[in-house]
Amino acid sequence: MPYDVLVLATGSIPTLPPIRGLVQLDGRLDERVHAFRSLADCLRLDAAVPAARSAVVVGGGLLGLQVARALAVRGLATEVVEGGDHLLRGQVDAKAGAILARDLRRLGTAVYTGARATRLTGAGLVLDNGYTLDTDLVVLTAGGRPSTALARRAGLDVRRGVVVDALLRTSDPAIHAIGDCAQFGDQVTGFVPPAWEQAALLARHLDGEPVEYAGARTVARLRATDLDVAVLGDPERADGQVVEVSNPVTGSHRKLVVRDGVIVGATLVGDLSRIGLITQHYDRGTVLGPHEPGDLLRNERVAPPVALPDDAEVCTCAGVSAGRVRACGSLDEARDTTRATTGCGGCTAAVRELVMEGAPV
Amino acid sequence: MTRTHCPYCSLQCGMVLEGRRALEVQPWPEFPVNEGALCRKGWTATGLRGHRERLTTPLVRDRATGELRATGWDEALDLVAGRLRELQQRYGADAVGVFGGGGLTNEKAYQLGKLARVALGTSQVDYNGRWCMSSAASAANRAFGVDRGLPFPLADVEHTDVLVLVGSNLAETMPPAARHLDRLRENGGHVVVVDPRRTPTADRADTFLQPVPGTDLALALGVLHLLDSAGAVDEQYVAARTTGWPAVQRAVSAWWPERVERVTGIPSAEVRTLATRLAAAERVMVLTARGAEQHAQGTDTVLAWIDVALTLGMPGRRYAGYGCLTGQGNGQGGREHGQKADQLPGYRMIDDPAARAHVARVWGVDPETLPGQGRSAYELLDALGTDSGPKALLVFGSNIVVSAPNASHVAERLGALDLLVVADLVMSETAAIADVVLPVTQWAEETGTMTNLEGRVVLRQQAVEPPAGVRSDLEVMAGLAARLGHDFATDPEEVFAELGRASAGGRADYSAITYDRIREEHGVFWAGPRLFEERFAHEDGRARFVAVEHRGPAEPVDPAYPVHLTTGRVLAQYQSGAQTRRVRALPDDGPFVEIHPMLADRIGAYDGRPVVVTTRRGELKAPARVVDTIRPDTVFVPFHWVGANRLTNDALDPSSRMPEFKVCAAAVTA
Repeated sequence: MPYDVLVLATGSIPTLPPIRGLVQLDGRLDERVHAFRSLADCLRLDAAVPAARSAVVVGGGLLGLQVARALAVRGLATEVVEGGDHLLRGQVDAKAGAILARDLRRLGTAVYTGARATRLTGAGLVLDNGYTLDTDLVVLTAGGRPSTALARRAGLDVRRGVVVDALLRTSDPAIHAIGDCAQFGDQVTGFVPPAWEQAALLARHLDGEPVEYAGARTVARLRATDLDVAVLGDPERADGQVVEVSNPVTGSHRKLVVRDGVIVGATLVGDLSRIGLITQHYDRGTVLGPHEPGDLLRNERVAPPVALPDDAEVCTCAGVSAGRVRACGSLDEARDTTRATTGCGGCTAAVRELVMEGAPV
Repeated sequence: MTRTHCPYCSLQCGMVLEGRRALEVQPWPEFPVNEGALCRKGWTATGLRGHRERLTTPLVRDRATGELRATGWDEALDLVAGRLRELQQRYGADAVGVFGGGGLTNEKAYQLGKLARVALGTSQVDYNGRWCMSSAASAANRAFGVDRGLPFPLADVEHTDVLVLVGSNLAETMPPAARHLDRLRENGGHVVVVDPRRTPTADRADTFLQPVPGTDLALALGVLHLLDSAGAVDEQYVAARTTGWPAVQRAVSAWWPERVERVTGIPSAEVRTLATRLAAAERVMVLTARGAEQHAQGTDTVLAWIDVALTLGMPGRRYAGYGCLTGQGNGQGGREHGQKADQLPGYRMIDDPAARAHVARVWGVDPETLPGQGRSAYELLDALGTDSGPKALLVFGSNIVVSAPNASHVAERLGALDLLVVADLVMSETAAIADVVLPVTQWAEETGTMTNLEGRVVLRQQAVEPPAGVRSDLEVMAGLAARLGHDFATDPEEVFAELGRASAGGRADYSAITYDRIREEHGVFWAGPRLFEERFAHEDGRARFVAVEHRGPAEPVDPAYPVHLTTGRVLAQYQSGAQTRRVRALPDDGPFVEIHPMLADRIGAYDGRPVVVTTRRGELKAPARVVDTIRPDTVFVPFHWVGANRLTNDALDPSSRMPEFKVCAAAVTA
């Protein structure tokens, strides 16, 4: 099939972790084992859940935690096995990982970090720390790798993914690559939004617009009940100053990595109250003031109610101050002489109270 | 004692005027919309009567001195008619433009359209309603086949279960309406407010969502996504009463809550809670206002919220559905009777041959002589004084210099005209640059009908004689028409009857409404108090789902202009402030810039000290109001004074031609 422009969007392929016994002699997965990449995988898992009582999730990354929580919420006794020394090690530091592990355990899910699954037997999943986890389901979430076979055969420059430049071009200028299969700089993404962004940008480029790709600004959000995590960019590797508030008492750990006033990475665990605003600043590259990163991590407090000073406006509809209301003997008098309460009616309770204050005891 | 209605917003509160000379406002408790309540603008509405700034004689600019000088009515009208004819002979009929307003009575709006199409023969007529609720109008026409702000009485609000207000600050913009919110809550209902500012309306809500300006559409898509994935779609209703759901379902599948969070800045948990609440409610009412509508994607934003209402099976159900809270006093009627570039009386489309034939018959002219569709409001102003654009402009009921977007550019275009004629009560900023200024009556001095936000036609009745030298707009139009060879009526009731005939059979049919009926029934709803109970106005009787996509603001923030600017109103002022700024009892503190403490700290701003807001189109210096009720990435400026609209963006909605008043990129410095 001849072409002027070719776009590779071959995605990624799941990798099976090196666990013996996952695949049966006939080449099919053990009945208990579920991959978690395609819609078909999800439907098969969904069908298996009602009959299962327990599940082990292999992989403590974003996907693993989401699956673990979803299974736990559906009533399965769930355990998570993570080979690294803390959860979400691709995104967050050990402190945040520890808070997450604690949260998960509190929610009833066992967590094994620094533990590798080595074998699946009739008795269960055998870990290298000596445990054997008896389970009905084994869910593999240990990732995928860019699908680059075609690009390699075509002689394109391929490292982890198909290498592309700022115009999303491969080493052959007539061939572009986007999505999970592509590598821009050191970056290989695994999410939908960057792939869409690349697709939109490429479409504009092919339409003749002068656009350039500057790399993905990823916001990884854990979509799991009762686990609040957001990771903006790559906070563990981003270059910048770290502003951090860790509060083990409330189970929150938040840090912003700031370079020249711009948030270049962030980790928010356990408290997402400012996620919307922090993401806006991150996405738009807002140059913050020196106090702002700290202010963003401070908890918002609502001021306590205070007695209204005489010049405070009580009825905005009629423009009536507390003093003028206090001078009135009754609600009726206040209404008739000042027009307070005659507009939206929102101040009626306040006016009644002020009138009482002023009344002789 | 005269029963009439407040001269300002679309609520058209009933009031009683007492006294012959010194008029006094009294409550009219029996009028159902406001039940005697008024805001300070209403209570002080007589403050402009007999004000020393009232214009009482026509003014003509002296060519020698450049000053306006007083003249007689005949001289002024002769001059205007003569110049108009001259310009039309030289450049063609479209050399004259006509610009109306959403505050004009139905009779004036109707007559203005007729003046343009019959007496002047120009297609170049439009009005400031384009800058008000045109996006909601265009969306409602597409979804329901008819555009009436509220398809139910406002008081229905009190009986719904969940009320969602998107971009409405009604507690400040139409305060008596807020009483309905309080009663709804007393009845156990739940109020949701969506606004970039925590307004006094938001303070009365149970749930408050604070999106980035210009992202209400993405929020609606996210809600639709969640409703669909939760199985909360009213399948039976969707099958029986609508078309188009599958396309919407496909489009919203990509709007999961975390994506919505990233676009709107609203935490995904809040989006989920909202969807859950809507899914569980028996009756849901969604009302949009300017905050959602005044965007280059305003029509699509409204369509997305209508989709939410349709998904839940609400429109047509009692105490539920979708509505738009119209802004200007006669925003509704003003768009129904022909002062809009694409419409003829009765909400008829000007390119429909049957509509042309009907209206031409009422007007006693050949349908062939009626011009076609002209430019929309902003495009009309943008073309003034250009080779192909109008060379003269007649302005009735609008203060363009203050209210148009990208106002410096618009002022420049006005300056390029050969003739600018402004009819107004006071020397507005637009009148001040006119070649001819015609002093006209104000509300208490005239009779006419207004159609409020509910589609209720109400009667404004004359309470006093106008000052000597002042004429009604109808008289001014008749005077001009006579000089151009046409006989126009000046009696409002007579004009209303003619309007009724012209609108008969149209989408907004006023033919059965009379002044007497309005008096007896406390206003008359055209097409009845509640629409859509049996069918929608499309030929197949069904409502249409429309699949829309979020595009975002036309001018996104960037390093040079890193802050969103949004605009709006304050309680004590109305529109361009030409009237309210002259009422002594109303505070006139000038514009201000609402700014969050975090942003204030970043730029070194202090409460009460001036800051400068700059956009690609202009700059404004005004005192900062440091408040934590606004998003930290957004500043707010009220638009009642010269300045705010020098900043705003003139990007237009592709369908409604609404300018993007509500969001643009700005820089703020102390």
